[in-house]
Parts: sequence; C-alpha cells; structure tokens
Amino acid sequence: MSVNTVSKDQFKQFVAALIASEPSVVGVQAKGDRFVFDDLKSADALRLDYDVSILSPRKYVMPQKETLLKFEVGGDCQSVQDGKPLILLGVHPYDMAAINQMDELFSQDEYDTHYMCRRRQITIIACDVVSPSKNVFASSMGTATVQHGYDMLLTDVGESIIVEVRTDKGRVLMNHMPAARPASEDDLAKRSAVWEKNQHVLNKHVLECKPSYLPKLLEKNYDHPVWEEKARLCYSCGSCNQVCPTCYCFDVQDVVNWDMKTGSRVRVWDGCLLENFATVAGDHNFRKNRSSRFRHRLYRKGKYVPGKIGGQIACVGCGRCITACTADIANPVNVYNQLMERTDIG
Amino acid sequence: MSKPRVAIFDFACCEGCQLQIVNLEEEIIDLIGVVDVVEWREAMSEQSHEYDIAIIEGSITRPEDEHRLQIIRSRAKVLIALGACAAIGGVNKMKNNFDFNEVKRCVYGKDAEMPHLATTTTRAVHEVVPVDFTIPGCPINGEEFARVVRELLLGKTPTIPDYPVCVECKAKENVCRYEYGEICLGPIIRAGCGAPCPTAGWRCFGCRGFVDNPNVDAAKEVMEKYKLTVDDLKQKMVLFNSK
Amino acid sequence: MCECCTQEKKDIYLPELATITKRRMLNGTELYMHLQLDSGLEMEYTPGQFVEVSLAGIGEAPISISSTPTQKGLELVIRNVGTLTRAIHKLDVGAKLGIRGPYGSTYPVEQAKGKDLVFVCGGIGLVPQRSFIRYVLDNRADYGKVTVLLGTKCYDMRLFREEIAMWMERKDMCVMETIDEAHDCWDGNVGVVTTLIPKIENELPNSLVMVCGPPVMYKFVLMSLAEADVPQGNIFVNLERRMKCGVGKCGHCQINQHYVCQDGPVFRYSDLADVPEAI
Repeated sequence: MSVNTVSKDQFKQFVAALIASEPSVVGVQAKGDRFVFDDLKSADALRLDYDVSILSPRKYVMPQKETLLKFEVGGDCQSVQDGKPLILLGVHPYDMAAINQMDELFSQDEYDTHYMCRRRQITIIACDVVSPSKNVFASSMGTATVQHGYDMLLTDVGESIIVEVRTDKGRVLMNHMPAARPASEDDLAKRSAVWEKNQHVLNKHVLECKPSYLPKLLEKNYDHPVWEEKARLCYSCGSCNQVCPTCYCFDVQDVVNWDMKTGSRVRVWDGCLLENFATVAGDHNFRKNRSSRFRHRLYRKGKYVPGKIGGQIACVGCGRCITACTADIANPVNVYNQLMERTDIG
Repeated sequence: MSKPRVAIFDFACCEGCQLQIVNLEEEIIDLIGVVDVVEWREAMSEQSHEYDIAIIEGSITRPEDEHRLQIIRSRAKVLIALGACAAIGGVNKMKNNFDFNEVKRCVYGKDAEMPHLATTTTRAVHEVVPVDFTIPGCPINGEEFARVVRELLLGKTPTIPDYPVCVECKAKENVCRYEYGEICLGPIIRAGCGAPCPTAGWRCFGCRGFVDNPNVDAAKEVMEKYKLTVDDLKQKMVLFNSK
Repeated sequence: MCECCTQEKKDIYLPELATITKRRMLNGTELYMHLQLDSGLEMEYTPGQFVEVSLAGIGEAPISISSTPTQKGLELVIRNVGTLTRAIHKLDVGAKLGIRGPYGSTYPVEQAKGKDLVFVCGGIGLVPQRSFIRYVLDNRADYGKVTVLLGTKCYDMRLFREEIAMWMERKDMCVMETIDEAHDCWDGNVGVVTTLIPKIENELPNSLVMVCGPPVMYKFVLMSLAEADVPQGNIFVNLERRMKCGVGKCGHCQINQHYVCQDGPVFRYSDLADVPEAI
C-alpha cells in the first residue's frame, strides 16, 4: 500500500506508542544469549537485530495449549474462541512464510475457526533479517524474503528503517508513526540491496537442489539407507517438532476442573517423532520404528504438506531443528543432499 | 456416591512429595472436597485401615517394610506410587551400588547395628507389590498429581507422558544444556515435570526415570560429539536411576 | 467478535448431543448402541464413514458407523479398550454422547451397482462392513451376487449372531463363517478368514471385494485375493488409524501422504500402491 522511511529514534517512539496504546504487543527480545518472542514491556527491549528466536512465533498463532470447548462432564459442549488482539513485532520472512502456510492449512477443507479467529486478530509486523543465525538456510528454501502475509514489513537499511504497509491493519498503526516520510528512490534501492544480500547470505547449509525438486527426490528414496543411518541416534524427543515453525500436529485432551462437573477440551502441540504419535486403540503403533518417524517428518516437510498447499515446501529454512537436535541428525539439508548424492535427477 | 477414601503412607523418603500435596494450597481444599483423607501422618493424626486409594511415598529398604506394604496393598483397591523413591527407587537405590554394612557404618556410625536400621536391597514399590498408577518425580509435580487424582475419580485411566523431558524443555524455550557442554538426562527421561531443572539453568537429573524405550545407545554415542564420555553419562544416572 | 465468527462458520470440533435409544452387549467386549441425534434430524452419511464420539470430560474417539442410511438412527459398536470406551460401556439407554461427523470416504455404493460383491470381515471389521451390507440388502435389486466372509478369533467373540443367522437363511446372499480356534459349540469352519476365499462362488476377478479387519489380517487376505486374480482396483480396504480430529488437521491418522480421516478410511487398494504405511 505504501512504503515509508523512519529514523531509528522515530521507530523507537513508534514501538513505545504501540506498547502504550495497543492491548497486547509481543516482540523479539533477548533471553540470555538467545532470543525469544515475549510480551514487550519497553521499546528498548525489542531486538530487531536478532538472529533467530528459540521458538518461532507459531506459539502465538497456534498456542502450545489452546481451549477449544468448555463442557459439563458427560454433557453439552460450547465453543470457546479465546483469541485476543495482538501485535507480533519482528517476525522474520521465513517465519512469515511458515505462518502463511499454516493459514492455508487451517482454512482449507474444513475451516478451523479456532485457528482462524485467533489469526485474524493478530497484526504481524515482519522484519527482514539483519543477523543470519548459525544454521539458517532460508536462502536455499526461497524464504529469505517474503512477499505477503504481513501487515507491515520493516527493513533496517543502516541509519533508518523502511516501513512497508501492506494492509488496513498496518495502515492504522501508521498513526503511531507521524514522523514517517515516503521512502525515496534511494531508500528503496537500499532495501532492494538488503533483499538481494539476504537471498544469498541466509545460507549456512546449502541445499543442492531447488526446493521444488524435493517431492520428486523423496518419491524416489523411501527405502534409502539414510533414514536408518540417521534415526539410529534419534532420541524420539520431538525437539525438532517443537521448534519447527511449520509443525502443526496436535493432540486433544479433556481437562476436568476440581468441581468434577465442568472442564474444557484443549488442544496441545504434539510431534510425529514421539514414540506413540501413531498408536491406535489396542496399542498397535503404525510408526513404531524410529526411522519411520524420522522419515515421516522429512516427507511431511518435503512432499506430503506441499501436496496440500500447492507445492510450497513445508520447510522454511529457519535452521531451528538443526540447533535443537542434541544428536545432530535433524538437519533437513544434510538428509536431502545425501539423497541427492545417490539419486539420478531425471 | 460416597467420596473415595484415601490414605497416604510413607516409606523410605524425605516426605517431600507429600509436602508437594500440601503445597497445592487452595487446591488442597478442592482435593478434600472430592476425597475423604482417612490417614496421612504428615498432615493429620487419625489412622484407618479402611481405604479405597492408597498413596505410597518412599522406597522399600528394610525387611519389615515389605510386609507393611503388602498389608496396605491388600486393603487398597487402587495403589499409587508417589514420587521418585516409590516409582523407581530413586536416590535410595544408590545404596545398592555399595556393600550394605559399609553403607550402614558410613551413615549411622556407631549406631549402625541397631535393629531398626537393618537394611536390604532398595526396591521401588512396583518391585514389591503391583502398582496401579505412578506419579514420578523428585519431588512430584503437584499439577500432575492433581490431574491424576481427578482423572481417577472420573473413572479415567490416568496416563503420564511417555516422551522425553526435551519436549517440555523446548516448549519453555530453554537452550539445550549440551550446548553448554553439560550432560543432561532430558533426552532419555520421562517428561511430565515441565522441565523445571533446565528452566532454572540446571541439567535434568533424571528423577522421573527413563521413558519406556530410551535410546541409550544414542545417548552413549552422542557423548562423543560433545567431548564427553559414557562414564560421565553413567555417573549422572547413578543419582536417580541406579539398579 | 471477529470476522470468521460473524461469518457463522461452524466450529468443526463442536459435537452435537445424541441419546442412546438401545444398547446391548454383542459379546464380552463389544457394545452395540442405537443413537438418535437430539436435534431430531437424521445424520446424512454413506456406508464406510465414521463419527467422532465423545463423552465430555473423558475424551473423544473415531468410531465406524455400523448402521445404514436406509434405516433410522445411528448404530455404533464400541469395543471396551480404553478410558473412553470403558466409560461409554457404563452408559444406559437415555444417556447422552457427543457426536461429530460423518467423516471420511465411503464404500463405492454407486459404482458397485450391478456388480457382484464380496465382503471379507475379520473380527470387528464386520462393524463398518455391516453398514454397506445392510445398505445393499435394503437396495437388493441394485446389486449382483453378495458373498460375506466372516472370520472371528474365537467362538465367544462372534458379533451380530442373530442377524448373521438371518443372513444365512436368505437365498439372495451367501454367508460363510469361520473361527480361528475350534470350540465345542461350533461345528462350522475352523481356520483364518483367508481359508474361505477359495470357497467363494462369485466370479472373483469381476467382483468388488471389501476388506476390513485387524491390521494383521490385510496382508494375508490381499495375498489370497491376488492369487484369485482380483484386480487391485476392485478391492476396497477400510483402515483403522488414530483419527483424532477427523478433519485433516491433527496429523495422527496420516499414512504417508494420506490423512485417513479425509482420504480414507475406505481406500481403493490400487490407490495405496505408493502408500507403504497403509497395510
């Protein structure tokens, strides 16, 4: 809709104004020597120069624990929509790409009101990456920059910040940025330079094929030895699932209050790497082997989910699973490249 | 329907898990609203032989404990093992790594031969009598205890997680202790605690025992990656997970 | 109130209440229930589909529909295997359950018209198959020969005994039954269900074959059908998975690229060629 420029001081005033006037502002901030998304208490705490957050902003669009229904035990249920207006400040392009995928998955086929209702109340202020993290490979996945999904996009070009407004929600927020001036040709050129650079530098692991080739690559390698080789060391701890911005599998549980008469049905994050994820009544486990679960995750990212969302690869190259995996086996690029070595690219 | 009668007993333990129940604070009122506590040495003076649910804290370390536990089992419809000592033997099992006379001398000095200090191989409750439900941890997680009690009263079969602590640790946005070059037992230990130790900057000590199918081979191999040894790992397991 | 609420989109996780109108035990572990939706409406479903059944506070689970849409009400058979099913077993007539659905794919009720049909049922595999069998019997003229093979582990586990006895009396269908373990009260076939396949009088290669049973059964039945030259495109399998949400989101029932709750539970076997996790 519009592209503006503000100085860094003016931007700080903008953040302070958001915190002062908006009901809830979440922003990226330091936690020890890492970064997390958390309630933003002051403009100074915001760290748009972060490399990567420990968990992705998925925890706001799909909370770790979310009430779906309230009920009377053994009786009737009522829907609960507990989303609230929220500004998410500092979402990196790869995480934005992940949220875009989730939006599609939760709205296609059967429309998930719980997810969508919460999502619509979130205003996303994305920001281009300033400091590449040690394991990012977004450049390989085509997610180093992002074209849609956000309400506002920030690009740090050194002395100033370029602010692109995309939606009405974003435009309303511009009221808090009275000093913004339309971006000049020069500003836009600097922004393009940042994008151009990020297309190359967010690539600590280099995927040796185009992401669009992954479904085909996987189709040919279901029985490849790499699954067993890697999964031998898998703890089935689900760390890769937990930190993944595109994992959205969940479990549903009934929680009863102490009155023993009322309660709620909640959904909680689940992970396909966990041992009993595919266990059915009677204790039969359809993915009992570590290797079949390990393979399932990489097939979901590279083939199965893409089949549901028009071919978009469900790995956005954030590199979090690489960092999170204690056994150092989760790196999707390593696995996919290993498949490439022994596959004839027809 | 009358409220189920609950009796809480302790064996070799620090009673810290019972303290966690006391620490439920307002919820303790809710708890006694739905159950009838008929015996609980730590919190009341009454005693009873009539109960539906027996909650056992502590491990079995003396010959006479075994008999007492069997009597409790015969009276209870449901028996719950509460805390690390009851669930897996816990810290008390460290004793099993040593000569018992030496242990007694070391701990009790000149009193070592007093008859009530007679000691035998430490066992978890399930190694002596059948256990219906287990709430592990040192101490237990009060929230998990509350949930298990409520589910039991509803006629549900309470389950505890069979996945590693990493799940809950990652959810808390902790940095993996291995990144700091420390041995953490999280990847092979049962979750349900909410990963309080890593969240407070410690490693996982393993107080909830192993998941059903821990990848111990991986744990050994992963040590090398972090320039640690299998002996380092074994040493860390002694505290709560001795045999 | 946000946009999607005002759009009055339905909450896909919200069950509606249904009342148990009949119940009886079919054997030691299987409870038969007849339900009526409290809305007074009849659920619109097709044989093969399932519903999510819940008891608020206890939980929710996918259950195959055993009734036919040609009759009123909803019939379910629930095996006592866990917390939820144990609680449901304790419910009397008049008690209420939550129901969501119907979900999933259907048996080829239209495509099967005019064709000879074979149903291979192992144990509780009869439960969803019964929906289609009864549908066929209620529209008998539309279908060709009907053969039903029933295999049960032991004598005491047999389901719908009176109904099967009535089927056996019918001249317009062939029903063969076997039990895995011999029993004093049983003078019929003994052996696994595959031993009945050579006895089928239908021209097998031109029949549609519906298969449902425990996980271990499929491999052997499918091998026997291959030997009998049944094309894979004529075989329909009904797969059980942990269909937690029923609406293609939660991931629990996924086998390779398929969500069983959406693409299944009924699959044409030839569509499972590249789905190694299916059978």
